[in-house]
Amino acid sequence: MDLSLTTAQEILRDSARDFLAQECPRSFVKEVDESETGFSPELWQKMAELGWIGMVIPEEYGGGGNSFMDLAVLYEEMGSACISSPHHSSVILGGLALLDAGSDQQKRDILPSVASGQRILAFAHTEPDYGWGAESINLPATRRNGGFVLNGTKLFVLDAQVADQLVVVARTGSGGSPEEGVTLFLVDKNTPGVSSRIVSGWTGDKMNEVVFDNVEVSESAVIGQVGGGWPTVERVLDRGGIAMCAYIVGGLQRLLDITVEYSKNRIAFGVPIGTFQRVQDWIIVIVNDLESARWTTYEAVWKLDENRPDAGLAIAMAQVVASEGYPRSAEASHHVHAGIGIDKEYGLYLYTKKARTLLSYLGDPVHHRKRVARFLDM
Amino acid sequence: MDFDIQYTREQEEFRREVRAWLDENANCPPELGEIPIEPDNMSREMWLWARDFQRKLGAKGWLYPLWPREYGGGGLTQDQDIIIKEELQEKKYPVAYTMANMAMPAIYVYGTEEQKQRFLQSMLQGDKIPWQLFTEPSVGSDLASLITRADKDGDDFIINGQKTFVGGHHDPDYLWTLAVTDQDAPRHQNIGAFIIPGDLPGITIKTLDLVVREGKRLISFDGVRVPREYLIGEETQGWRVAQTTLEVEHGAAGFVEQRDTLLEEVVKYSKDSLRGGQPVSRDPFAQQELVGLLIESNIQRLLGLRNYHMFNTNQPGTYHGSQNSLIGKDLTMKAAERILNALGPYALTNDDKWGPLDGRVEYHFRHELASNHRGGTTDVQKLIMARRIGISRTQERAAPTQTTQAG
Repeated sequence: MDLSLTTAQEILRDSARDFLAQECPRSFVKEVDESETGFSPELWQKMAELGWIGMVIPEEYGGGGNSFMDLAVLYEEMGSACISSPHHSSVILGGLALLDAGSDQQKRDILPSVASGQRILAFAHTEPDYGWGAESINLPATRRNGGFVLNGTKLFVLDAQVADQLVVVARTGSGGSPEEGVTLFLVDKNTPGVSSRIVSGWTGDKMNEVVFDNVEVSESAVIGQVGGGWPTVERVLDRGGIAMCAYIVGGLQRLLDITVEYSKNRIAFGVPIGTFQRVQDWIIVIVNDLESARWTTYEAVWKLDENRPDAGLAIAMAQVVASEGYPRSAEASHHVHAGIGIDKEYGLYLYTKKARTLLSYLGDPVHHRKRVARFLDM
Repeated sequence: MDFDIQYTREQEEFRREVRAWLDENANCPPELGEIPIEPDNMSREMWLWARDFQRKLGAKGWLYPLWPREYGGGGLTQDQDIIIKEELQEKKYPVAYTMANMAMPAIYVYGTEEQKQRFLQSMLQGDKIPWQLFTEPSVGSDLASLITRADKDGDDFIINGQKTFVGGHHDPDYLWTLAVTDQDAPRHQNIGAFIIPGDLPGITIKTLDLVVREGKRLISFDGVRVPREYLIGEETQGWRVAQTTLEVEHGAAGFVEQRDTLLEEVVKYSKDSLRGGQPVSRDPFAQQELVGLLIESNIQRLLGLRNYHMFNTNQPGTYHGSQNSLIGKDLTMKAAERILNALGPYALTNDDKWGPLDGRVEYHFRHELASNHRGGTTDVQKLIMARRIGISRTQERAAPTQTTQAG
């Protein structure tokens, strides 16, 4: 047992922290958030230069071949800075779907440009009848002329506004269980019939409605087996889920830091407000959410890297803990900050928006608790 | 990172040795009866057997595997310690309750060499059992305002006062306690720490009638003459000495329990019990409650590992000890609430015919009311956390003592 980071991971953490402190202060994060696409090509370019984008893509496809623990270290820092980028959608969801199920040719053709950041993917999973289980995948892909035709709407798709291609989870058939008949497609966003628009609102990442109106794709657009795509989706959602947990851990750490700092400096009734036990109670909510999320996440990441049979269970547990804890702690932080908490320049709201967006992203806590129950044969 | 306890071939060999030894020695004779769920129901005969077994463990160095050999500990490695704990957890045997792990760190830090040889040796070897006596009838969370007095008389101290909600079962060998040694000194500088033989004249022990029968006593000191050799640290250094104990009691040392056996069995029970023709575990509401509990228990296990790792790699913690304690106390209360929600009135009964898990759920329901404040209430843990986070009173404003009343 050794719960320390390796020296290489410590170096990665420190350099990421320095870079983000320098390049991505809260004013920058706010600026990106307020831009039309919620995307900074300059930051994306720098992330590529640092070798961050392709980290978990194997070296043979132009990536860094890093472990998920390495990725978690980076994601914690990105979450702490609260930066938005299409990294998660493009590499962790889209890229790993291709890596999991794609043909050799697809992997060779696509992964190197995903790893370098030149190509951006988005992962189109959820629909108006919202949910992350296989039963919520209903967008039909029907065979026609040796290819497929997609019809329907994908909703709340992150990063589609900047994506070149979409990994679409569609239904090509139905079997005894909803898991059967799910197929993954790689669809160019400029294919005739595909239209995408940002759904307005107070969201931590840009969410899109993507409409497929008689979109014809060829057989070569299929990723993996026709009708056999669900196991890939599950593996991708596990990896995406645990990466997001690490991102949340970073966010919680920063929430704690700024809230403690504020409570020491804000004077009321002649003393720092942190000396009031009612204020301390909010801060203790945050420190408990932080450490709970941190250690459930670390153990799950470790199990994933080690290919443990119960990695899925550990990830589902971590997702419950992290996704519930983040918005609760953001709220606690607002209680401490009061007025300044809604000041845009101060920027606490960036974390709150992110926390609320991530609560149900990749599955809400009730969904993950049901998964835990299934893992335990309950 | 590596969450696995790595076992080398030598360590697996060691595990086999431990297991074989336990198979040989950890079997309580059947004529002593079933091991009771409620500790106070343990007969003196069984308790004597348990004491004897503890001595045997101590002689092997397996009672306190990590403590140095020179004082009677095992001098073993972290991994060996974990192996022993795991093997003991698998075995069902009666435990003679001891609070040596609280007293020993303080004695180790503040005791003289002679005291270490004398007290540590006998505790580490399982020969002597100390109880910890901190709480008084009118003093709980605010421990520093304790009233029990130790008045100097030549080379001795005369102790008068009462300690309550303390102790263990049958007879203690030592009482680890605090008393005011200087009535005129300010708070925190007026207390001495003592390790007192349990059989000195003037000590009376009364069993309390509590909702959980787990060996909690009211102990009175009535002019008890205690020679100076039982004072640990300087005469008025007791508050600092006690901090060493409290840090351990507040969870800083961590733990490596890998399993929550009560919860495992409750989950199994929920799978095996039918309501409306389907297992309780399939009821969406009961399922969310039990899974919630599993997740909370998992957090508690991991924070224990975190503290164990920090403690044993000499990384100074701040809020970590009290955080563990707080989350553990919350968990134990929440467990009762969630199990009650999931199982309904079955959770309340220890009836031979209807009670789940041979009455262990019913016992937990009473036991959790005691564990939520033992070693400091949840609010005290929060107070300590806030101090360690650095947001509490920056300057210690000492409260008045009982006798000085200084503002």
